[in-house]
Amino acid sequence: MRLFYRRSPRATAIASQLKLLGVSVACILALFWLIMPPFASAAEKLTVYSGRAERLIKPVLDEFTAKTGIQIELLSSGTMELVNRMKAEGKRSPADVFITNDAGSLEMARAAGLLRPLNMREVERAIPPQFRASDSSWVGLSGRFWIVVYNTTMVKPDQITSLLDLANPKWKDKIAIPNAGSEYLQAGVSVIRASVGDDQTRKFLEGLRDNAGTRVYQKSSQIVEAVAKGQVAMGIVNHYYVYRHLATQPTAPLAVLMPDQQEGGMGAIMNVAGIGILKHTPRLENAKLLVEFLVAQAGQKLFADLDKEYPLHPEVKADPALIERKSFRAALVPLSKLAELREPTLLLIEQVGMR
Amino acid sequence: MIAIHRPSVSPLQLAVLAGATLILLPLGYVTVLALSADVAIWHRLWTTRVPELLLNTVSLAGAVALLTFVLGVSTAWMVTRFEFPGRRLWEVGLVLPLAMPTYVLAYIYNYLLGFGGPVEQLWQMLAGPQARIISPQSFWGVTIVMALDTFPFVYLLTRSALLSFNVSFEEVARTCGASPLHRTLFVTLPLLRPSIVAGLALVILYVVSDFGAVSLLRYQTLTYAVFQQMTGRSDNQAASILSILLVILALLFLLTERWFRRKSRFYQTSGRFRTPQRIRCRWLHAAALTACLATVIGLAFGIPAYLLVIWSLSPEAQAILDARFFGFVWNSALLSTLAATAGVFVGLPLAYLASRKPTWLNVGCLQAAYAGYVLPGPVAALAVLVLFLKVLPFLYGTVIVLIVAYVLHFLPVGLQSLEPSIQQITPNLEEVARTLGLTVRETWRRVTLPLIRNGVIVAWVLIFLQTMKELPATLLLRPVGFDTLAIRVWLEASEEYYQLAAPSALLIVLVGLPALVLLLSRDWRAA
Repeated sequence: MRLFYRRSPRATAIASQLKLLGVSVACILALFWLIMPPFASAAEKLTVYSGRAERLIKPVLDEFTAKTGIQIELLSSGTMELVNRMKAEGKRSPADVFITNDAGSLEMARAAGLLRPLNMREVERAIPPQFRASDSSWVGLSGRFWIVVYNTTMVKPDQITSLLDLANPKWKDKIAIPNAGSEYLQAGVSVIRASVGDDQTRKFLEGLRDNAGTRVYQKSSQIVEAVAKGQVAMGIVNHYYVYRHLATQPTAPLAVLMPDQQEGGMGAIMNVAGIGILKHTPRLENAKLLVEFLVAQAGQKLFADLDKEYPLHPEVKADPALIERKSFRAALVPLSKLAELREPTLLLIEQVGMR
Repeated sequence: MIAIHRPSVSPLQLAVLAGATLILLPLGYVTVLALSADVAIWHRLWTTRVPELLLNTVSLAGAVALLTFVLGVSTAWMVTRFEFPGRRLWEVGLVLPLAMPTYVLAYIYNYLLGFGGPVEQLWQMLAGPQARIISPQSFWGVTIVMALDTFPFVYLLTRSALLSFNVSFEEVARTCGASPLHRTLFVTLPLLRPSIVAGLALVILYVVSDFGAVSLLRYQTLTYAVFQQMTGRSDNQAASILSILLVILALLFLLTERWFRRKSRFYQTSGRFRTPQRIRCRWLHAAALTACLATVIGLAFGIPAYLLVIWSLSPEAQAILDARFFGFVWNSALLSTLAATAGVFVGLPLAYLASRKPTWLNVGCLQAAYAGYVLPGPVAALAVLVLFLKVLPFLYGTVIVLIVAYVLHFLPVGLQSLEPSIQQITPNLEEVARTLGLTVRETWRRVTLPLIRNGVIVAWVLIFLQTMKELPATLLLRPVGFDTLAIRVWLEASEEYYQLAAPSALLIVLVGLPALVLLLSRDWRAA
């Protein structure tokens, strides 16, 4: 019975040693391949971290790739998540460009020293200074307004002048609002705090909380839908959600009201989507090309129209369906202040107990 | 000179220690982070968030447990106690919901029960335009989705208990003149209790550590709050505090469950054992049973699967089936393969040494590896993240970090099938091989491995599947260009692009189906 001796023990030992060596080499190689920063060698690439929904950014980036031949790696994620990530990655970050929908987080990235001041004539010519960081380390690309959407069969436009009116008890159970986690709500509340102070903001939020009751929605599209159906009379959303809804259902009884335009009012609450280039990017030229592409007239039109937002380039016309930009004024709170206002705003929202 | 005999440290022992360290270090670091947090942070959390989060988490777990108890026990009863056409089919069909990741079910119910969704439209046709139905993003909405997805745990355990049930007990009760209802309530159910409790324990652990469904339905549990603290507020300390609470909660619960099981053991004293006869059904009765089962399976699997197929065939979804989509498939496959292989490599020495040399050290290491059980996804991600940033920052943002998180998270799943398979082979076999002149390594290769092969394969498949479905850690740690199918489902579903999420979701479900067969044949508890 020679069960186990098919080869001499010596040969087996050598063979198994060789095998072990082979396996370890393979493992080490695999490890190196995994640790290697992706695409470090490719020059014609650009890695974009985007907090903007993929379908509102990818078509623009595809257009850019078609034009320049620069391939884009896109990482879509939550805005704050990306800021944290870039902070953690520091100098090693694979990101070259950061695009997002909220000036506050762009400013946070700037304050954390992640972004690179831009000194580009194209930018200065195209985007007015109030929509950029003080050192142009981030640049606004399109504007969105936090507006009141109302059901035309239930509300007369003269019944409301200011956002703060929505806290009035007479609108109890007639208001739909976004939930506490919404970035729009957070940015909006920051602007209100900066305009009217904390005490009044708290009163406003408490009124809003009571008026909305359970009509707190995760999606702005749901708010618009509730208003269209007449389940509530009014809601607060970003303006483009209304036009999105009207694009699919033109007969819906919806209208947009630009709040706080009265004499001495704070003006409509505005936020911008914008772009910044990371400080440590080795692909600065490509990144600059992308910024140029986005602030040029064609890029502005493309970027804004994808989501029916307002282009920031003074010579680019917004979608004709929108309220004419020149006919209303925006709140005078500088966008860059949104960052420092954020933390106390979150605390206030939490204390009031918004859902 | 007295020769001091030093115990030699074998490489295997080192591997075990390394494995245990890998598990314990991140967990320990999170604990340290939480304990070193400022008192003000603790205070802020305790006064604002914690009570609500604890209440939400516990009440959701309770409600889901209640609902799965009803669903699981009643369906198990139907397929074991009655004989009717199609019974076999239903018996298998009731396991299918396990192939649906909870977040997939959540996103489908978001559409079905959602605002202006089909169910609401139907309801408004009946009850007037202002009528609202239960919102999927409410407590009951989340409860229903979770229960539909997890009741098979209870069903499976109860069914196997009922199949091996000794009918003599019931017959004794019957001769004493107890009514059928009385017999069921006071004889059968108490005897099934250990199995039912074990099933409910799985359900509760699942609910407590779920991230996908609660985040899509925006229901604030502790697990979801950990994720939000990490992403919304970049507050890793607050996240670590909530994590610790979560781990304590899960541990408390596990210990309670163990204690429960210890107290309830039933023994068969006489040698008589008879399985119950199935009751043959009249057609009316059979129709009623079929309707019940069809409703349950339809809600938990049939309708969702049908919708996924329909959506995947829609032109919008067909348009995204390009090279990029297959890149996601490839990423999913690659990550899952790596994680499963790494998990088996880490788990084997742990399980092997603990059963061959059960010193306190080895057994301790093995128990430590089970710690991953009470680590929900976001917590595992947090642990790995803070540790790597502290110790090996240059690895952050690579695949390695992600794999470590997966191994940490899913090792218990693998160990559950590795451990029994190793314990089943007697050491004598290995000793015989050694006396016949084989070296240690040859013995391992030619005797041990072939014997435990099945256990290894099952462990590998289970970790592979879990990784395929994994969301929170992948979301937080994925390298650029490493989107997986699960990530795609999440991204599209949270934007409410149902059609676009469907192909990825369908693929995850399809991959999960064959594995269910494995689960059914063996240790499926780890699903």
